Amino acid sequence: MEIRPGNPASPAEPFRRALSHRGELLEKAARACAGVIGTACTYTPFELVHACGFVPIRLWERPGVVEKAYGLVPGFVCPFMRRCLEEALAGGFRFLSGIVQAYTCDVSCGVVNVWKNNFPLQLCRSLALPYNDGARSRSFLRSELMGLVDDLVAIGGTFSEDSLRRSVDLYGRIRSTLASVLDRLGRTGALGAAETLTLVQAFFVTPPETYLDMLVRLEDELPCGAPPDESRVPVIVSGSVLEDGAVLDLVEESGMRVVFLDLCTGMRALVPAAGAGEDPLESVVDRIMNRTACPSRSLPGQRARDLVLQAESYGARGVIFLFQKFCTPHLADLPVVMAALKDAGVPCMLVEIDGNGIEGQVLTRLETFATIAGAA
Amino acid sequence: MRELASLVMEYYAECHRAKAEGRPVGWMPPMNGGIEVFYAMGLMPVFPENYSPVCAAFGAAPPHFETSEAMGFSRDLCGYMRNILGYVHGDMHGPLEPMGGLPEPDLIMSFGGGCIPAMKIFQHLERRFPHAKVFRADMPQVALDDIKEHHVAYAVSEMHRFIEFLERNTGRKLDEERLHEAVNLSDEACRLFDRIMSFRRNIPAPFGASEIGLMFVMVTRQGTRTAVDFLSRVLDEVACRAEARQGVVEEERLRLFWDNIPPWYDLGLLRYFEKAGGVVVAETYSSAWSIRLDTGDPIRALAVKSLMSYPLVSCVSIDRRRDMVLRACRDYAIDGAVFHSNKSCVPITLGQADIMKALERELGIPSVTIDGDHMDIRNFSLAQFQTRADAFMETLLERKGR
Ligand code: SF4
Ligand code: SF4
Repeated sequence: MEIRPGNPASPAEPFRRALSHRGELLEKAARACAGVIGTACTYTPFELVHACGFVPIRLWERPGVVEKAYGLVPGFVCPFMRRCLEEALAGGFRFLSGIVQAYTCDVSCGVVNVWKNNFPLQLCRSLALPYNDGARSRSFLRSELMGLVDDLVAIGGTFSEDSLRRSVDLYGRIRSTLASVLDRLGRTGALGAAETLTLVQAFFVTPPETYLDMLVRLEDELPCGAPPDESRVPVIVSGSVLEDGAVLDLVEESGMRVVFLDLCTGMRALVPAAGAGEDPLESVVDRIMNRTACPSRSLPGQRARDLVLQAESYGARGVIFLFQKFCTPHLADLPVVMAALKDAGVPCMLVEIDGNGIEGQVLTRLETFATIAGAA
Repeated sequence: MRELASLVMEYYAECHRAKAEGRPVGWMPPMNGGIEVFYAMGLMPVFPENYSPVCAAFGAAPPHFETSEAMGFSRDLCGYMRNILGYVHGDMHGPLEPMGGLPEPDLIMSFGGGCIPAMKIFQHLERRFPHAKVFRADMPQVALDDIKEHHVAYAVSEMHRFIEFLERNTGRKLDEERLHEAVNLSDEACRLFDRIMSFRRNIPAPFGASEIGLMFVMVTRQGTRTAVDFLSRVLDEVACRAEARQGVVEEERLRLFWDNIPPWYDLGLLRYFEKAGGVVVAETYSSAWSIRLDTGDPIRALAVKSLMSYPLVSCVSIDRRRDMVLRACRDYAIDGAVFHSNKSCVPITLGQADIMKALERELGIPSVTIDGDHMDIRNFSLAQFQTRADAFMETLLERKGR
């Protein structure tokens, strides 16, 4: 992701700076804790990794031309994962102790396995998640999570029920504060969509204690902001990973207003803030089971219902799908989801991101879409 | 092997017969322990993914692609998915559908432990056949080296849940004796399949990769006497050919390995190498069917099989796959490996680069990449294939000093 120069007066500026310097900050953080553990997917429970004394982060992509990664993965896999590998090949993840990847998408898990063979890490493992919810699935997930704890302890972590309780509380606070900040921002229009994305992205790469401080400060200082510009067409942006907010600027330039970011790097990772349960591990299990589902974990009909409801509750008049090219889980559900939105009278369009920047025609397509959605 | 065509036809005829007779028909993905349970209960398993190669071979896939793409399914999705969804949303029993099409499902099973397209195929099939009873299993997706007791225990509990589901929805009881027998037959089929394949270590190899259709029986008839009898006859035939030192070509000059699913629309492409005396004598894809079962504990055996089959050939266990390819290349005296970079199957294509490097580094075996697609001919260029294959064979022959 190219971190663009920011506006020093923007409330998002500290988050943009955290993103710009994430490499150095994480090198420092790695020295001060058991290590940094990466993941390419928000289903890896950050609180559990944190409870073992590690800083959990989400991997990021390298902007610019992909060269080295083409020798390791084919050209027809999601450009985000290819670019993450490129960043690793360029030395951008030297501070990582390990990667823990929840098995969600074939590409993220496959690329992590490729990673394992090319960069020595102390730990590289996947996490098997059940698709069904029930007593047996939950008990299996508990065992799987405890297996992860054992592996983290084996590479220098320490774990106790107390430490997990503290981490669950910490991440619960972060998610609920972030959700309320985003809600306020969505209702006031105080921040643009790309800046809003920056807030969320910083969550994935900043030690959580630091991030919570930044967030609380932002919440206190958040300008009331003018009411949203009602002349702009309210839309939901939905899709997989989005690292570069430039496309969101284009959406706004086309006369639309983003009211909800239904992305892996957006609200899907944040809801619900915490799970319920008698002990902290149970609450981690419960949160995984109840979190807003990504297409890799849900049925197409469920995704369609979720999006129709979101469109209703946010008053969205259109949905723009932003997918990484070749993203199987999202592409596989798309026909059903689009049909449901069409039946609900919500127009939608698809923009695929191939990692080489946004083509000029996209702006024209967005402008046309804004007209259609505005008239719908 | 000549019997294979009639075996294929007989299988599809039986699918239709079962439907006509009121024997419950269940659609499921291949490579899991559901098939043995089905046969043991007298139910009819149908494999929509396996029907896709048949469609490709009969030239029926392109119209199916047209249908699914018109519905909005991206061309970037796995060809099995686009083919089968196009098929079920078209005229399922139209005159152009091979084998008279597939009988509609009474039951739909997805096992969870495969790739995302395999899961999504069944989710869409559920929508297409709303009257069918649906079972979604949760087989954990885990690399072979990471399989722990809790994974197996959960997979076993999923097998029990599966059996309960079948008993409840078909009114049939699973007879443990029959399941035991099905698992014994399944294991015997794996043993025979392995024996047949191992004859290809002979120089010259008695048969090449274009006979890979043999796998059909491993996909559709696991757990039956039909599979064992057929494979026994194939074994005899192959043993005779081997004893007579009867090869695929007059002079076998190059022994090749094929990685990834073959191009089903033209298996003849695998014989292209023969013009330079090259024979494909081993492949990765067929290994998924050589897993031996612990027949002493049938349910556990089927659970373990369900856990292992897909990781064995996919990017879930790249390390194991690499070791398997290296071992095969050693055992089968391979001169060069052909890696099909398959746009329709990301899970099998990911990791190929590492395996190619390991082959060169550890065994000095060179490789070539062929860009293609196991289902969609639009993603394949014959000219590029020929140019690369010719250059590769030229290099290999030079290395061998002709
Ligand atoms: S963007 Fe899509 S293909 Fe890429 S890692 Fe995420 S889910 Fe997988
Ligand atoms: S394993 Fe490959 S070919 Fe099979 S369904 Fe998955 S993506 Fe398609």
